[in-house]
Amino acid sequence: MITKTVECRYCKSDFTVTGNPGEKLSIPCFNCNKKNVVTFSDKGGEFVESVPVSYALEVSGLVKIYKNVKAVDNISFKVRKGEVFGFLGPNGAGKTTTIKSMLDLIHGDAGQITINGLDVRINGKEAKKLVGYLPEKVAFYDNLTALQNLLFYAEMKHASKDECKVLIEEFGLGDAVKKKVGTFSKGMVQRLGVARTLLGNPPIYILDEPTEGLDARGVVLIRNKIKELKQQGATIFVSSHILSEIQAVCDRVGIISKGVLVAQDTVAELSKKLNLKPKLTLELEKVSDAVVDAIKKISGIYDVKTIGCMIHVVCDSNISAKVIVAIVNAGGNIVNLQTQTPSLEEVFLKYTEE
Amino acid sequence: MFSNILFSIAKKEFMDNIRNKWVLILSVIFAILTIVFSLFGSIFGTGWQDIQGTVSSMIAIVQIFIPIIAIILGYSAIIGEIERGSMSSLLALPTTRLEVLVGKLFGLGSILAVSILIGFGIAGVIIAVNIPNPDIVGFLIFIGATILLGLVFLSMALFFSTLFKKRSSAIGGAIFLWILFIMIIPMIVQGLLIAEVGIEPLMTGEKVQIPDWYYGAQLVDPGSVYNSLIALTIGSMSTPGNPLQITYPSYYSSGLMTLIFIIWIAIFFVLAYWRFSKKDI
Repeated sequence: MITKTVECRYCKSDFTVTGNPGEKLSIPCFNCNKKNVVTFSDKGGEFVESVPVSYALEVSGLVKIYKNVKAVDNISFKVRKGEVFGFLGPNGAGKTTTIKSMLDLIHGDAGQITINGLDVRINGKEAKKLVGYLPEKVAFYDNLTALQNLLFYAEMKHASKDECKVLIEEFGLGDAVKKKVGTFSKGMVQRLGVARTLLGNPPIYILDEPTEGLDARGVVLIRNKIKELKQQGATIFVSSHILSEIQAVCDRVGIISKGVLVAQDTVAELSKKLNLKPKLTLELEKVSDAVVDAIKKISGIYDVKTIGCMIHVVCDSNISAKVIVAIVNAGGNIVNLQTQTPSLEEVFLKYTEE
Repeated sequence: MFSNILFSIAKKEFMDNIRNKWVLILSVIFAILTIVFSLFGSIFGTGWQDIQGTVSSMIAIVQIFIPIIAIILGYSAIIGEIERGSMSSLLALPTTRLEVLVGKLFGLGSILAVSILIGFGIAGVIIAVNIPNPDIVGFLIFIGATILLGLVFLSMALFFSTLFKKRSSAIGGAIFLWILFIMIIPMIVQGLLIAEVGIEPLMTGEKVQIPDWYYGAQLVDPGSVYNSLIALTIGSMSTPGNPLQITYPSYYSSGLMTLIFIIWIAIFFVLAYWRFSKKDI
């Protein structure tokens, strides 16, 4: 008998299947109950599943050692097709090493990386056709103009000259199209870098600090572009140290610290795992002891603080209504109410604290 | 597909260096050098020398000058792009490291070849209209041999560009190799020859029996191979740095010399690829 965990092709949840070598079984998913056809190979217990590849990126057991120091230590994660995956970590945590390994720019000491099921070490050329990559340090050929630079990359990605021109315009470089890149500011180079990444409209994007060096307008432009690409069904793997950026666009996040992937999930799930509670901030006309006592009596309240007319409450997520009712019943008059779910920043700090 | 990508990379290298004005500068230098050497290179006469005389006068300077230019062109081809950050974008495209390296060799080789062709070519035309019965084929062979010499050192510089982690180290390494091949090895070989046959017969031009090992040792020095290739194709000649009137052994041929050049290019290219394929970008 062979036992293996497979992913449901419909709801993407993992479930375990058992079968004999050579068998082909139709097995319902434990979560959505839809049937998945699974084939068990009859050769040496090897397992073959008929479920099509649903991961755009898979990193498995990646290790990279520099002079006896593990820069990346047995990292594994999967990014589903159409997903925006945020990759976070403090400086020197191993983010760029991981990203460069994903494109075979850095050779890992162990592990396997696949892009759309293609091993980057074996089918690198085919795999890289599917990827638009924005490196942390964006660079071009300084003696060539913006258009000449893009045309060079476009030739390799089978993109047209018109596409280059459209992208240059889209990223606000229309006036500089015939200027040598050597004369560009850092922000202009970064914009051109993003334009280069989008050439050929690949289905997968790997972005290493995409908003680095950009002004506020540029940051908004990139954020909207990521959202637009996601709507078009693209898979995006994005690393950034600006956590609000990540929280605004990502479906899931992975947190790397000292070369180890310490967490990966949605921000909400990670908050749950860390037992982080939402915060209610209430502004009242007048805060009385009766109101504070009424709030404290509710079960699921962890902390109540008053500053002037403001009350800050840390509580379970499902008792906001009870808090409001308690305040009103105690004679309080609510002027303003804000609910603050645990932020990615809190999650990040918890996972990466020394 | 391979040729398309290779062509794109080679074209980019070429365009980049055209914009650098490298081709123009080198062509002018080559043309001026050739004309100056044709006009003033001989101590035995005045006015325009014939092609053989011009080539004979130029060999020593070309042996020094062309390798330096090839090293300058090639030493930062890989490490320069890695340091600048553009290599990671290039290798993230659907390319292989082999394609990048071949494209670089072709692109930079084209710069060198075109500069030599234009510079020497213009000078050759000027000389040809000023002398009777110019040996045009001989001059073309000289141009071809010079391009091959340049490609050997370009391939060498590419290897050093993949070997080191900094541009400064790469140029240091390449210059060391240039000194080794252009100065140290020839000096050692000449020194050993003098030790064996004595200085007097060499100074007086007396006919001496050159030992077999000397000819073998000459084949590991690209400068000597260049000398031999030209001497074997457009006539034996003495150069200012080498007063020996050498009679070559029977196995010496222009084909062998060309083959040795190609082997040098291939050896350093394979070494460069081996190093580049293992390099973290």
